[in-house]
Amino acid sequence: MNKEELSALVAEILKDITPEPAVKGSDYKATQPQPQQQARNFSDGDFVPDVSALDLRKLYMVESAAEPQAYKKLKEKTPARLGMGRCGPRYKTVSLLRFRADHAAAQDAVFTEVPEDYAQKHGLLPLQTRCHDKDEYLTRPDLGRCFDEENAAKLRSSAKSAPRVQLVVGDGLSSAAILANAADCMAAIKDGLKLRGIETGTDIFVRYCRVGAGDAVGDITGCELVCVLVGERPGLVTDKSMSAYITYKPHTGISESARTVVSNIHAQGTPAMEAGAFVAELIDTILEKKVSGVGLHLEAAT
Amino acid sequence: MGTELLSVGLDVGTTTTQLIFSSLTVANQASRFSAPIFAITDRTVLYRSPVYFTPLKGFDLVDGDALRCLVEAEYKKAGIAKEDVDTGAIIITGETSRKENAREVLQALSGFAGDFVAATAGPDLESVLAAKGAGAVEFSKSQNQPILHMDIGGGTTNLTLIRDGKILRTGCFNVGGRLLRHENGRITYVSPVLQAVTALSVGDTVSQSQLKELGVLLSSVLEMAAGLTPSTALTHAFLTQEASSPWVAPEEKVILSFSGGVAACIREETDLFAFGDIGPVLGQAIKKSLLCKGTYLLGEDAIRATVIGAGSHSAQLSGSTVFAEGVSLPLKNMPAIMADGASAALDGEEGILVLPELPHPDYAALCALAESLAALELPRYLICTGQDIAKALGQKLRLLMPHTPCLCIDGIYLTENSYLDIGAPVGTAFPVVIKTLVFGS
Repeated sequence: MNKEELSALVAEILKDITPEPAVKGSDYKATQPQPQQQARNFSDGDFVPDVSALDLRKLYMVESAAEPQAYKKLKEKTPARLGMGRCGPRYKTVSLLRFRADHAAAQDAVFTEVPEDYAQKHGLLPLQTRCHDKDEYLTRPDLGRCFDEENAAKLRSSAKSAPRVQLVVGDGLSSAAILANAADCMAAIKDGLKLRGIETGTDIFVRYCRVGAGDAVGDITGCELVCVLVGERPGLVTDKSMSAYITYKPHTGISESARTVVSNIHAQGTPAMEAGAFVAELIDTILEKKVSGVGLHLEAAT
Repeated sequence: MGTELLSVGLDVGTTTTQLIFSSLTVANQASRFSAPIFAITDRTVLYRSPVYFTPLKGFDLVDGDALRCLVEAEYKKAGIAKEDVDTGAIIITGETSRKENAREVLQALSGFAGDFVAATAGPDLESVLAAKGAGAVEFSKSQNQPILHMDIGGGTTNLTLIRDGKILRTGCFNVGGRLLRHENGRITYVSPVLQAVTALSVGDTVSQSQLKELGVLLSSVLEMAAGLTPSTALTHAFLTQEASSPWVAPEEKVILSFSGGVAACIREETDLFAFGDIGPVLGQAIKKSLLCKGTYLLGEDAIRATVIGAGSHSAQLSGSTVFAEGVSLPLKNMPAIMADGASAALDGEEGILVLPELPHPDYAALCALAESLAALELPRYLICTGQDIAKALGQKLRLLMPHTPCLCIDGIYLTENSYLDIGAPVGTAFPVVIKTLVFGS
């Protein structure tokens, strides 16, 4: 096959697997909002413009600025809310609404439950920590790290005993992060482990999960290594950031310094499946070195 | 903290040949709590050779054997063994005999300049490297105006239009200081590109005013190229044919920046007969022209801009989450195969498959892509993805084709005329040199 044929063949492949691009916010124009334009007449049933769809890095609202281009260049480097302008001593309406929208999204990410059927849909064994609801989860971190007898028994009877690698998905502080990233990341981790001939146990979903719940899973399954994909505390930049915490020989009471973490797994950080492929390789290294966390860095440094 | 790469730069120009060695520092920019991001964080020039006249056979053919001796002597003087060199580039520039010279130089230096050194020729890359070497690309990041960089050498002027550190376009004109040479007031050489615009020919006596006239004519070509005066048939006559696309003058006001041998003659007035060429008159004509009306930049080490670019700026790093199994490195001269049916590559030769950005990159789409690629049953897979998915795609492909060598990288921008050299990994990233070759096609 020559190059032209190969090139044409791959073009054909790409056409099949990629649907029409629907670029989010493609109709958004990064200009200074004009008050006149905002005073549109809305009729019943219309939607107001979605403030959360604006790209903050491109939104510069200082009026009569001396060097707007230079400021915009700086803004591209940070998600911070710079150059938002003001109205007298107050925020502009758009700034205030956006701040409240982001704050609401962060709160929603914490308080929204991962759907009841999530575990079943993704072939995960559903468990719950000792917490009974979100309020208890937030106020009692200790209860988010252990299981009651019923859940422990379920894990003992249904999960494979003493696997090399135990994969766990936990809602943590952001259900949105799990819904956005966990499935793709998990699939990539499993393919990566399969490629390296590393066997995994029964995959688990834990509701009201702290990172430490993985240690309790270690106590019960006797796995050599646990990898917990958990939703991170949402901020005002993204509510969809997930982390992978990897612990070698996990057990209740293990030091936090024994964990290796890959954070910032989200579309604008490390994409979920690329992070998955990276985590699979990392798990391989940890199994080989028989150490995770700070110990792994020390090992690498010597 | 970081890894050091030793990089060599060799610029074989119409007039001069120079060599530098640089140390590139590669370090992980990400925190320990996320996936790595390796980047070149520092570039230090370790050794600069003197500026040599390019050894020639006749008027414009490079003497390969003499060049090899010169390079060998410089390696010795710098105390560097060829095995120690990790990366770098050899740039071959020339006025009329670019293709022949490229072959000669590559043959003379093959296997010499280290395991992973890109040999390149072509005005597009040359322009980019000169602009980087002169510091114009870095400078543009602090400006709100585009920069037009001109590297004015012996045979050609390389143009680069830059904004915010990004190269907008490149161009090349046959304007240089050695297009006409003279000795004791008599002409010894007239470049073919001048023959249409001057009656002077070899053997004629030449006066100061005739030389100055020629300088003004050539600088007027550059004024047109910069968009300061409307362009005429002259710009077309002086356009270098090998440039990938015709030059379009900047649409807005630019800051001009100069490097190359002639740039030194802009800085200070030299005796018009000092070098037996038209460099001094061209330099002075530029200084008096519209090009130097506003603020303009002149680098300190102007004559070394291209070689510093070749030594310090030719290598870049791929993304840091990438995949390679069963592929022995380095890979050299891999043509880019664009996945749109267009490819400048030769038949029957292997290349690197360049995928565009996928609009909805979820794992199901990635698996479908991997399966379709696997069905092609290529003897080995060399892929560059359009977004940060290389490791996941490579891993899936290898799972489907466990015995087929597979290399999958991202973070590199390739166009259809690119050729790629890939070296052994530094940290988790691959050093890559993207180049263009003028010969072979």
